[in-house]
Amino acid sequence: MVIAIIGPSGSGKSTFLRCLNLLEEPNGGSIFFDGQDITKASDINIYRRKMGMVFQHFNLFPHMSIMKNLTLAPIKLLGKSKKDAEKKAMLLLEKVGLADRAESYPNQLSGGQKQRIAIVRSLCMEPEVMLFDEPTSALDPEMVGEVLGVMKELAKEKMTMIVVTHEMGFAREVADRVIFMEAGKIAEQGSPEKIFNNPESERLKKFLSMVLG
Amino acid sequence: MNELSFFERIEMNFIKDDRWLYIWDGFCLTLKITIIATLIGLAIGVTIAVIKTTYANNHGKKCVSVWQTFGQMLLSFFNGVCNIYLTVIRGTPTVVQLLIIYYVIFASVKIDKTLVAIIAFGINGGAYVAEIVRSGIMSVDKGQMEAGRSLGFGYFATMRHIVLPQAFKNILPALGNEFITLLKETSVSGYIALEDLTKGADIIRSLTYDPFMPLLTMALIYLITVMFITLVLNFIERKLRAHDR
Repeated sequence: MVIAIIGPSGSGKSTFLRCLNLLEEPNGGSIFFDGQDITKASDINIYRRKMGMVFQHFNLFPHMSIMKNLTLAPIKLLGKSKKDAEKKAMLLLEKVGLADRAESYPNQLSGGQKQRIAIVRSLCMEPEVMLFDEPTSALDPEMVGEVLGVMKELAKEKMTMIVVTHEMGFAREVADRVIFMEAGKIAEQGSPEKIFNNPESERLKKFLSMVLG
Repeated sequence: MNELSFFERIEMNFIKDDRWLYIWDGFCLTLKITIIATLIGLAIGVTIAVIKTTYANNHGKKCVSVWQTFGQMLLSFFNGVCNIYLTVIRGTPTVVQLLIIYYVIFASVKIDKTLVAIIAFGINGGAYVAEIVRSGIMSVDKGQMEAGRSLGFGYFATMRHIVLPQAFKNILPALGNEFITLLKETSVSGYIALEDLTKGADIIRSLTYDPFMPLLTMALIYLITVMFITLVLNFIERKLRAHDR
């Protein structure tokens, strides 16, 4: 299941996404994950381990090699052996085509490479759901494709993904459900066909005409 | 005095009765106090910086459970203690602190004077290191904490593995500066009759009535030590920055 969240900037897309793993504290309401209301959970860290998150600005750890970036959490939090964690990391690195950069440092990589590494870092925790916060917004146009490619690959493998994005093409092609947010509220939602081909609200029509041109 | 040749003066100030030992033993004591006090200062400084940053990030947040309410009260209390400590230590001269710790706090206890100096300079340094470390923590991008937390690390684990190592890289020059300052500040150890480098040289002066040689030698030793420390720090900094480009 892939859910894309679209909408004008300042409409609360990122805030909504960041509420899902409580990086932002919701003022009210409930969030259910594996049947548990995580807003009432005593230890949120347990649940965050199963929810991967990819940020707009990558947020790789600059003082560690790529391999260290990828294996730190699995070793410390999942209790994996260094060997197992590295094996898993290497496997995923090969999948995104960056196996040769395992010993590099984040600052030696391009934006697109950094974001692919950030995705792999989340995947190393074997999450049940992946949250993407505008993963391609900080990238040069020519690097957007390589990141979206990895995300499409993930979608094909039936990963549950919630993606805040400005890439309408991606939302239309990959998402099972599209949510349009406006002024902090969900203004309209439905299948990509419905949202993009038969938008109901005036605001969504106007938004689409602006972004699709 | 004026008739003595240069070598005769050296002989009188340093060789006769093994007077060079005043300088050498003093230098060793100065280094010992400085190094251990710096380590104590670092420990105190990091602890205070983490408490203060945690307090700044958390106070006013709504609490879901009794534990969180209790935690916040505890945090407020520690934050208050830290603020008093910082105000008092930064608001009074080091010599005054040293004298009070020796003559008032440890008045009725028989305690090694070197240990008193180490404690006094450690407590003193801690206050300055705390603010340096705090600025270092604040210099690390907020996204780093978020990335750590989103992977499932707790607050303190993220601090330890992700934020503090980066903070240290940023504050190394300031920390080095503090180390150098502390080295020179220990020259007041003579106030509690410790024979550090300064006191040692001064003893030679009072024995020979020839201030030039012992005092200038002492100054030169301080200078060379500081230059050496600077060199080492620059080397470490270059190593740490190797991956920044």
